Amino acid sequence: MPAVDIHQHLWPESLLSALSLRREPPMLVRRGSDWSVRLRGEPEAPVDLADHDPDRRAALVHADGLDRALVAPSVPLGIEALAAGEAEPLLEAYHEGVAALPGEFGAWAAVALAEPDPAALAHRLDAGFVGACVSAGALGGPAGFDRLGPVLETLERRGAPLFVHPGPASSADGEGMPSWWAALTGYVASMQTAWHAFAVWGRPAHPGLRVCFAMLAGLAPLQRERLIARGGPAVSDPDVLLDVSSYGARTVDAVLREVGVDRLVEGSDRPVIGVTELPLGDAVRTALRERNPARLLSTTTTEVPA
Amino acid sequence: MSTIPRHSPLHHDLDLAELRDLVSAIAADPQQWRPLARSDTAERHFEQLWRDDHVDVWVISWASGNDTGFHDHDVSRGAVAVVEGEVVEERLVVGGAPRLVRHRAGETFDFDASHVHRMHQDAATPAVSMHAYSPPLWRMGSYEVEPDGTLRRRSISYAEELRPLESAA
Repeated sequence: MPAVDIHQHLWPESLLSALSLRREPPMLVRRGSDWSVRLRGEPEAPVDLADHDPDRRAALVHADGLDRALVAPSVPLGIEALAAGEAEPLLEAYHEGVAALPGEFGAWAAVALAEPDPAALAHRLDAGFVGACVSAGALGGPAGFDRLGPVLETLERRGAPLFVHPGPASSADGEGMPSWWAALTGYVASMQTAWHAFAVWGRPAHPGLRVCFAMLAGLAPLQRERLIARGGPAVSDPDVLLDVSSYGARTVDAVLREVGVDRLVEGSDRPVIGVTELPLGDAVRTALRERNPARLLSTTTTEVPA
Repeated sequence: MSTIPRHSPLHHDLDLAELRDLVSAIAADPQQWRPLARSDTAERHFEQLWRDDHVDVWVISWASGNDTGFHDHDVSRGAVAVVEGEVVEERLVVGGAPRLVRHRAGETFDFDASHVHRMHQDAATPAVSMHAYSPPLWRMGSYEVEPDGTLRRRSISYAEELRPLESAA
């Protein structure tokens, strides 16, 4: 089985170009030879264009011991949440650019939130996108699942997975806050919210949908005793997986204790965070990089451990 | 798979009697485990039948010569029902010969979390056994006896034992 990192980001030339043409966030700003990204709700952050060089990144895939990396839309940019007319050229630039990346890469399709378009998604899946990536904030309650229902239904019908990604940050997380603030507060809360919301509203509506939550779903699985103590559902969902982005051996092992090894997948968040080796043994490594991604990305329904 | 919750209390960790009842009930229901048993493998083959907050249940297929090595289950207690063939359980005795017990089809046994054992299959015909652990397996200890007789313990993930590399192929 190929070794896969299901969570990387790469801004192709087409997207960099489209972002640099904008005059309001999200936008790329150039000062001399230095570039930075300006977003709503987050401090301006420097961008190293070498991080988005396809050939360099393809070499890193191999250096990381992987065969394939899946590029996800950078949800914290907030592109999907823009008005349709503004979002469309940026999303087109993303899809067009990542579809042309070297063979080491696959990609998640983005979904415009102003007008979620299941037909556009079906077209992307036809073109080889592995599934769809949606922000946790868009799936935080029943209205989100109503609104994105046709998109999720398309994924379910096609046997393609949903990837739930944190961001964008709230406007309260902007100037004056440390660079890590949103990643440790708003992102964690929104991933936990989406995790519980999926169990309550997503799963009943989409019984066959495979889902992967980034960043261990903000550690929502570790809230399980509290969930049950408060009368929440005690059901384990084998088709909901978690990527381990930004976490290390201690936390990954804690979540593994809750959900078992079969529900964890490698997701590095490169270039935000590099791929790290977890000292949890070869069997865990193989499960996270090979066996479990194969199940997540499989287009056929397979018998899985409950 | 759907009948497991009927056997499993789900709301608390299982004691030894409950674990034995669980593996006995599954053993008596071949529809559950038969599709997951394998007679064509040279390595031990593992299939997880169930995992929830309190128990995980496995169907393990054994070929002749398969050997777990000495190991413990950290904080989990367990029970085993042999449904086909036979397996040997060995316990380490300090300064003496290991203590062997042979478990044949139709027999069950259990062990608490302080138990250290090794299981192997030395018969010509394959064996199949049901294993239940509560709380579900997490860390395990893997033991090696050095040539000078000293004992070493390595902390491993349960995946190392029950999701070995061969089953990922």
